Amino acid sequence: MNFVTHTQLREWLGGLMAERSVIAPQRLQPDLVVYRAVDSTDEIAFDFGRAALSPKEFFLPATEAILTIERVRQLIAGDDGEAQPDWQIRLTDHELTRDQVLFAIRPCDAHALTALDALLLKEPVDAYYARRRQRTSLIGLACAQMGPTCFCTSLGFTPDDRQGMDVMLYTVEGGYALEVLTEKGQAVTAGLQSTPYSERLPEREWPPAQISVPPRSVWLNAFNDPYWGELADRCLSCKICAYVCPTCRCFDVRDYTVAQAPGYQKIERLRCWDACMADGYRRIAGGHNPRPEKAQRLRNRFYCKFEYYPADFGPLACVGCGRCIDNCPVNVDITEVLDAVRARS
Amino acid sequence: MPDTKYEPRIVGFLCNWCSYAGANLAGTSRIQYAPNIRIIRVPCSGRVDPLFVVKAFQAGADGVMVLGCHPGDCHYRDGNYYARRRFSLMHGFLNFLGIDERRLRVDWVSAAEGKRFADVVSEFTQQLAELGPFSKTAGGQPMPSAQSQPTVSG
Amino acid sequence: MIEQLRVKAREILENKTVDLVIGYEMGTRGAVRPAFIRSPADVDRLVWNEGCTHNLVTYLRTKRVPAKRGAPPLRIGVVLKACDARALNILLHENQLPRTELYLMGVVCQGMQEPTRPQANSTSGLSLSGRMQLRCQACSDRVPVVYDVLFGDSSQQPTQAVTGQRQSELEMELQRLESMSTAERYAFWEAEFERCLRCYACRQACPACYCAECTAEQLDPEWVGIGITTPEKRFFHIMRAFHLAGRCVGCDECARVCPVGVRLDLLNAWMRREVQRTFGYQAGLDATAPAPLTTFRPDENLKL
Repeated sequence: MNFVTHTQLREWLGGLMAERSVIAPQRLQPDLVVYRAVDSTDEIAFDFGRAALSPKEFFLPATEAILTIERVRQLIAGDDGEAQPDWQIRLTDHELTRDQVLFAIRPCDAHALTALDALLLKEPVDAYYARRRQRTSLIGLACAQMGPTCFCTSLGFTPDDRQGMDVMLYTVEGGYALEVLTEKGQAVTAGLQSTPYSERLPEREWPPAQISVPPRSVWLNAFNDPYWGELADRCLSCKICAYVCPTCRCFDVRDYTVAQAPGYQKIERLRCWDACMADGYRRIAGGHNPRPEKAQRLRNRFYCKFEYYPADFGPLACVGCGRCIDNCPVNVDITEVLDAVRARS
Repeated sequence: MPDTKYEPRIVGFLCNWCSYAGANLAGTSRIQYAPNIRIIRVPCSGRVDPLFVVKAFQAGADGVMVLGCHPGDCHYRDGNYYARRRFSLMHGFLNFLGIDERRLRVDWVSAAEGKRFADVVSEFTQQLAELGPFSKTAGGQPMPSAQSQPTVSG
Repeated sequence: MIEQLRVKAREILENKTVDLVIGYEMGTRGAVRPAFIRSPADVDRLVWNEGCTHNLVTYLRTKRVPAKRGAPPLRIGVVLKACDARALNILLHENQLPRTELYLMGVVCQGMQEPTRPQANSTSGLSLSGRMQLRCQACSDRVPVVYDVLFGDSSQQPTQAVTGQRQSELEMELQRLESMSTAERYAFWEAEFERCLRCYACRQACPACYCAECTAEQLDPEWVGIGITTPEKRFFHIMRAFHLAGRCVGCDECARVCPVGVRLDLLNAWMRREVQRTFGYQAGLDATAPAPLTTFRPDENLKL
């Protein structure tokens, strides 16, 4: 374990900005901190609780051009040797031009990335997520305390968990205690000045788990319970919960013509966030919608997180960050839902 | 510094019965006017959704015109009265959003006013030449129907 | 006052005046949330306090639809603040709801508080900040304009009235924006729209946004693409503000629900003020009054 002063940390981060995109917490408004790419350490909010939005957008951007298709009219030699005009297709992939460093990611958000890996890095691999994941170093910052809506300790880990991090920081007197955990972490801390940390990190006693996630059988039995209809009464079918959630990953894809001239057409394939909460999310060609009722959509949200995803891929699709609780305009509280489902077993 | 002279790109929504006919008359009368306007024919100025104006700016227009029949002369009797109501809010709203309201011109041109059409268009084109391109003054970027902007650099 | 409200709710459910009462109840962690009461035994869940900010009119159209196909639409009792009642008048004017199948429980409002942002303050739950919402500070008519029964004392002053101030803070913010240069204003709104997530919470919370298919999600024609990018978000908000012109009643729920604090209250406040100045019209005061953008006077002289 090493020790860095605030100054040493800032110098190191500033040095990284020369060649990498450094993403760090930024205070956009007095009560709004989000992760953003920063150009200087002055822009970083070192003192923050939990960012309002998760950093998933740096692995699954809200809008991503995943492919560029160009149709070019050219003369192409045919079998008979004659050149005929025809359309040629040219495909261009989009690559990240720089490595990313995600500074001050919290354990819950790192667990979320690990949970997403279970799906997106499994065959067939999501290449767009995979390359961002591979080119990003995670510099974790342990939480000093749990927020009022946090419940990570109910999901099997603690606010100072190092799992998934490349480098882990713990706030101590005068700076941070620092642990390099992976090869990637070693590479990214090459320019970091630090001293050995002679003290011992205090043992943290975290509050006990408040909620217990119901087992599989309970979920299976509760599917047709009228509870879902009552819960959905007040749901607005907006997309806030899915968009602030670090594990929600559903998207929409559509092609757009971005340039056109005689003999030339350039099309971009855009992949954008979407959410199962929206009325039209599952509507398919022909107009059929398997989830036309709010109750069905809201139920799907919780089943996806606590039943479908773990059954298919292993981890729960919830890390107890509490953002959905903070932001839902009508108090759909995931911890209340878990308690209610458990009570119906 | 690119060596291209700025030529304002104007989108004009002209109603079929009055202003479009007026534009036609300007043409047949061989009246010269600035060629920067791209005309879109609509049945009536009342057809023009204020959002057409926004979409035109986003598609790259430096200025937008909405030309209809003089109030009282609408081929559909009252379409232009509704247009007048809608667009009375539009200039101020554009201004409030930080878009120069002089980039929108709403006016009335009858089928007999070929010369007036040419004058209105030329005058508007001149004003836009002075205001500069939309993207520079408003700070935004024109886009087709979508623009991919990854939220991270690179 | 809440006891009287509960008594009335029990009465109208028991005598089958209504099938459903929509009001407010306490949720988790100090939050208030919309309540849907179908049984007289549940009326004690109903509360009334400075956290009852939600505009319940937004639920009326869809809650009328019965669970069983072919059954008659539900009759609904709903708790209305003054702003909510104006929203109801808009829906009545637009023939979206039958007046006779609603039982309106008007409440004299003392003003709603701004909710806290929990991540900013590590000790609070979802409770209230202690600050009155901007729209409530500016509110002059705290008694609903339409109701079947009224609760509360209309002579009572609100708890945090901003008295003696001639202009509300909302109006002052509008003027602050207007005193900026065009380019500064563009930059202000650019930053607002850039932050937007296109979660559509504003639209979903709004009682006047009830289109079955929103212009922003229409694919044929495609007004705006699916991208969550600033130009598209700008288009969405301009579109929504224009679709609300003459219809927005200023409940500002759109601004309250926004997870990143986009100043939709300012955008709609400008439009409301302009509609008032240009047409002398304030939305929702009277369900029968002609609306400004669906009517005209041939002889009027409007600045273009």
